[in-house]
Amino acid sequence: MVNFTINGQSVSCEKGETILNVARKNAIYIPTMCYLQKTTPCASCRLCSVEAEGVEGFVLSCQAPAIEGLCVITESDSLHKERVNIMKMYDVNHPLECGVCDKSGACDLQNKTLEFNVGTQEFSAKDQHRKIEHWGRINYDPALCILCEKCTHVCNEVIGDDAIDLYFGGYGSKVIPKNSETLDCTFCGECISVCPVGALVSSDFQYTANAWELSKIPAACAHCSAACALEYEVKHESIDAIGQEKIYRVTNDFEVNTLCGAGRFAYDFENRIYGKDKEAFLGAIEAIKKGAIRFSSLITNEEAMILQRMKEKLGIKLFNQEALNFSKFMKAYGSTSGQSLYSATLEHIRSSDAIVIIGSRIATDNPAVRYAMTTAARHKGARITYMHPIEDALMQNTAKQYVKYEVGAEEGVMALLAKTLLEGKTLDSEISAFFAELDLGYLEAESNVGDEEMMQLKKNLTRTKKRTLILGADLIAHAKAENIARLAGLIEKHTEFKVMIVAPSTNTLGVSLICDLDEESEGYAVGYNARGEFVLSSFGEGDLDMPSLNQQEGTFTTIDKRVVPTNVALPYNGYVLNDLANALGIRAEYTIDYTSQLPYSVGFECNAFDTLNARYGNAIKDSRGYELKSIEVTCDGVLSSVDELPEFNGTVLYACNPVLQFTPNTQKAHQLEEEACLRGSEQFAIAAKLSDGDRVEFDFGTLRQKRIFKIDTALKGTIALNPAYDLGLAAMVSSYRYQSVKISKVGS
Amino acid sequence: MRKLPSLQDFKDRNVAEGSSYYNIDGEAYPETGWAQFKQVVTRTFRLELFVGLWVVLREMFKFNIHTVQYPAEKLPIGPRYRAVHEMQRLWESGTERCIGCGLCEKICISDCIRMDTKIDENSRKAVTEYTINLGRCIFCGYCAEVCPELAIVHGGRYENVSEQRAHYIGFEDMLTPLDMAISGKVAEYPGFGAVTPHEDERVKVTPLAY
Repeated sequence: MVNFTINGQSVSCEKGETILNVARKNAIYIPTMCYLQKTTPCASCRLCSVEAEGVEGFVLSCQAPAIEGLCVITESDSLHKERVNIMKMYDVNHPLECGVCDKSGACDLQNKTLEFNVGTQEFSAKDQHRKIEHWGRINYDPALCILCEKCTHVCNEVIGDDAIDLYFGGYGSKVIPKNSETLDCTFCGECISVCPVGALVSSDFQYTANAWELSKIPAACAHCSAACALEYEVKHESIDAIGQEKIYRVTNDFEVNTLCGAGRFAYDFENRIYGKDKEAFLGAIEAIKKGAIRFSSLITNEEAMILQRMKEKLGIKLFNQEALNFSKFMKAYGSTSGQSLYSATLEHIRSSDAIVIIGSRIATDNPAVRYAMTTAARHKGARITYMHPIEDALMQNTAKQYVKYEVGAEEGVMALLAKTLLEGKTLDSEISAFFAELDLGYLEAESNVGDEEMMQLKKNLTRTKKRTLILGADLIAHAKAENIARLAGLIEKHTEFKVMIVAPSTNTLGVSLICDLDEESEGYAVGYNARGEFVLSSFGEGDLDMPSLNQQEGTFTTIDKRVVPTNVALPYNGYVLNDLANALGIRAEYTIDYTSQLPYSVGFECNAFDTLNARYGNAIKDSRGYELKSIEVTCDGVLSSVDELPEFNGTVLYACNPVLQFTPNTQKAHQLEEEACLRGSEQFAIAAKLSDGDRVEFDFGTLRQKRIFKIDTALKGTIALNPAYDLGLAAMVSSYRYQSVKISKVGS
Repeated sequence: MRKLPSLQDFKDRNVAEGSSYYNIDGEAYPETGWAQFKQVVTRTFRLELFVGLWVVLREMFKFNIHTVQYPAEKLPIGPRYRAVHEMQRLWESGTERCIGCGLCEKICISDCIRMDTKIDENSRKAVTEYTINLGRCIFCGYCAEVCPELAIVHGGRYENVSEQRAHYIGFEDMLTPLDMAISGKVAEYPGFGAVTPHEDERVKVTPLAY
């Protein structure tokens, strides 16, 4: 602990904490223009200067750590003069277009200019013509840019795209795309979010609404299991559409929380319907009574609870293969780790110094995990080992080691990994026997993961303290998923590694905990956002319409094992699942009445929906909702011996959506319109005898698909990526993500 | 300490004593029935009605009529009168002054202004639709006061008669006709929402020496 004073007020903090952070925690105001909590200090604005006793000149509070006994003064005449001068410099030739600027009303420059009362420009500089750049979803106006460097810092340190850079040219300095003519990145839009002025703006949003007109609705992102905190900004749609509401944009609390492009740009997936369809409603009731519901995990915890109640009351079956796989995986994991839940959180990843990730193309599967890993790599120097059959160009700057294994060999790789990590630990005789019996030669040869690679991995771990193992969706849908999970459980139990299991869909974790799922079987089933004989759909193509996730209130269970609330952004005037439940005799006034009824036995708390916090507020860490309790379970898992590893020969496709696409919801978004196509490397094209733009047809799992083949130069290897987000109700693929297929050309 | 007046003090106002109230001269009210009868008879037979009519007749034949021939003829309205809005154009170019900042929409206390904006092909903000619901407007003048571009002003059109309210909310009706603006027929607007005279003298000029 370090004790010192700020303005005479005695404060204390951890060693190494900056003066600015301590001041903020103690509600002492120090003005800043370029500071961002989640990156290293840009130190470009110098507005946060403070005086410290015994130190000549000013100290930059954003980067100076507190020292024992220091006397800091944050307000004095000379400091004020300095700050006023800085603001005067910022305001030189800043275009006077606040009237139309998107940022007006929420602009740091505007606020600080008023705060320091800069009413006139006393300096002069030759004004120059600066061209507005159009970078796809982002527009950049260099005339408005104040060169605070927040955008470049966040792009490099948090996102990991490293796509923008500062061009230094004195008065002509500006932000430019890095090593490229135009901006080539994943379009997360975080640079838009952090920009304190209106220099970087969303091209779709620009000039359509003002900051003060939009009502902010705190919610959780509905696209992946991170369920990031975001705010839907809503306003009336237009003069012509009377009474119609529309989401104009999504913003986030960028100081602490990061959004990917899907969260930021895919917000208009609401199911717009006009009135209630009584006939379809009655049909749905009859259909449900027939005995089975198949559903996807794109639902809230409350809806899952309603489905479970329907099962209890009517004795129907619930099918959700994806959640069932996940539930089995978690059970197997618990049977060796002794805990019902995994232990790592995104915050733990961010502060890790060694990370091993296996079985996920994480940059597309779950961007929040990727951002957390980027942060760890940049801030903690984390050594990241990325284990996957397909190299990912997006992880190149982040991962230290890439371990390529053969498709289907996940079980063998996991066994090798567990053996490496558990070496020298005292283990039960059974477990030791398992590792002793491993046919290393066979596993290494078949999985293509050599001894040297494992040695390198081990070397990466030397002198690291905080370690994380991340398991992806490939493992969960694997034929030997339970054995993989048991191995992961052992790693969690016996090493310093904390494990994170990335759920494949938004609320897979919640559904797997709440619902008592049945094995998939053929026969009559009602589909809820899934295929079925009678379909309840929020995608707008079913027999009875359901509200979309931005038209519902409820909670999600996130990757951080938190139960976070989401709110209604847009009105919905049709029937909801709770109406069906009420008609079936399961009474509750509102869907959120079920929030407090979520099963306590698996770790939920009995909190009412209205008591849950939806915003970050001033807390630096995620304090939305509440954290699930992990339940202790008995360690009775027995490892089964590693069978022969399956071989995948010929043309192999990997079920993987492109960046920013997750579900039919993201496909619906007008800003993310793109044609879904099969993407493969040049090598793949040669092997499969295809050329760019070919129309192809193939059976992927049980589904016959027609796609256009595109060569993606960023890809390597002989596995092509086959998206699933555009398949509507059939999009919820829950089988193993790799499939050997026979591709046939259908013209070109 | 001064004693605060109570509610009763306000009720017991004695107008007679030492106040500035005084009775105007007038005939005393007739109190008896006979007196009332006498008043009616006198008023009826003195033909007081024709005293007034005589004035009208006399002026009619003098052909010196001061009556304004409304609606053919209208009295000029003071420039600071707040009637139906007008949207101004720039003098030189005829460009619409409105930049779509949305301040009028925000400040409007009866919530009757609404605008739709977008980015145009020149990367400028363009107003695609603008309406004022005059059925709700209370003509308070806040919109004209807040407008940073002197675009929306209160004009002098005070006649609000139509079969439909919808007739009052069109942007084009309020917009100064383009030919008038370009030909310079529109004088700088002196009315409500315009800058006060001698505003130039108060402007601080940015130094241009470099």
